Amino acid sequence: MATIRTTADDIALVGLLRAGDETAFMMLVDELGPSMRRVARMYVSTEAVADEVVQEAWLGVLRGLNGFEGRSSLRTWIFRILVNTAKTRGQRESRNVPFASLAGDDLDAPTFDPGAFLTVGDAQGHWSTLPFDWRGMPEERAEATETMHVVGGAIAMLPPMQAEVIRLRDILGWSSEEVRNALDITETNQRVLLHPARAKVRVALEDHFRSVTEAGAGA
Amino acid sequence: MSVDASITCREVVEILNDYLEGELPEPERVRVDDHLVGCVGCSTILEEFRQTIRLTGMLTVEHVSEVQRATLLDAFRGWKAPA
Repeated sequence: MATIRTTADDIALVGLLRAGDETAFMMLVDELGPSMRRVARMYVSTEAVADEVVQEAWLGVLRGLNGFEGRSSLRTWIFRILVNTAKTRGQRESRNVPFASLAGDDLDAPTFDPGAFLTVGDAQGHWSTLPFDWRGMPEERAEATETMHVVGGAIAMLPPMQAEVIRLRDILGWSSEEVRNALDITETNQRVLLHPARAKVRVALEDHFRSVTEAGAGA
Repeated sequence: MSVDASITCREVVEILNDYLEGELPEPERVRVDDHLVGCVGCSTILEEFRQTIRLTGMLTVEHVSEVQRATLLDAFRGWKAPA
């Protein structure tokens, strides 16, 4: 569920944490925990080490709480601590993770099948046949858990950094600025990761709705 | 189908996400706007991108394991905020 928090909300939340409010702390753990664990796992060798990194990062967050001034959002600030902790731990493990292996090696590749476009003639580069149109289908099948499985499955297949960018942006509803600060990537990288991520989920949905249509027509 | 010859569908679909994000520089944004007016295929894809974002937003957030919740709650209880 997307959450939008203002600086004032963050400052209030930090106040609760400083006062030892367990409900506030656990709310934050529940919101950020799954993403933190996956991001930690990008930089270290095992799930167990990732868990340690997450715990270490939370302790760092608590230690640094008095220094939080709201210059970035609280969740961004927490992620920066996490990413730094994970990178340090990864270095200690002598684990060198090239950005390309996290981001995927297909960032420059076209996300659409080149066969969908004309290759000769005046209209070269335009659609050879119109793309399959599934725009009305999610409305008709709004509650279909199957559709949600398709989306979830497509995200799970993405390279880790593409998957995390689309999760933070589109599932958790973070801004592009928050995502790039949280994951310690550039503005360009955020954009370059989000595009293929969304494009691949769209293709998965297209394949799904096409097969549903064909199954319906064949029945 | 009358389509702006200055940009092809193959090019448009690769920048539609940047278009949606409001990240395209002005001249390029206008070219995409003009293209979309005359192109059913690219307009379909744009709307499908919007639907994709909407459907992704309907996914449920995953949960933190009970073990990790308990460990972190212990850590929080053990921590005393500096005055």
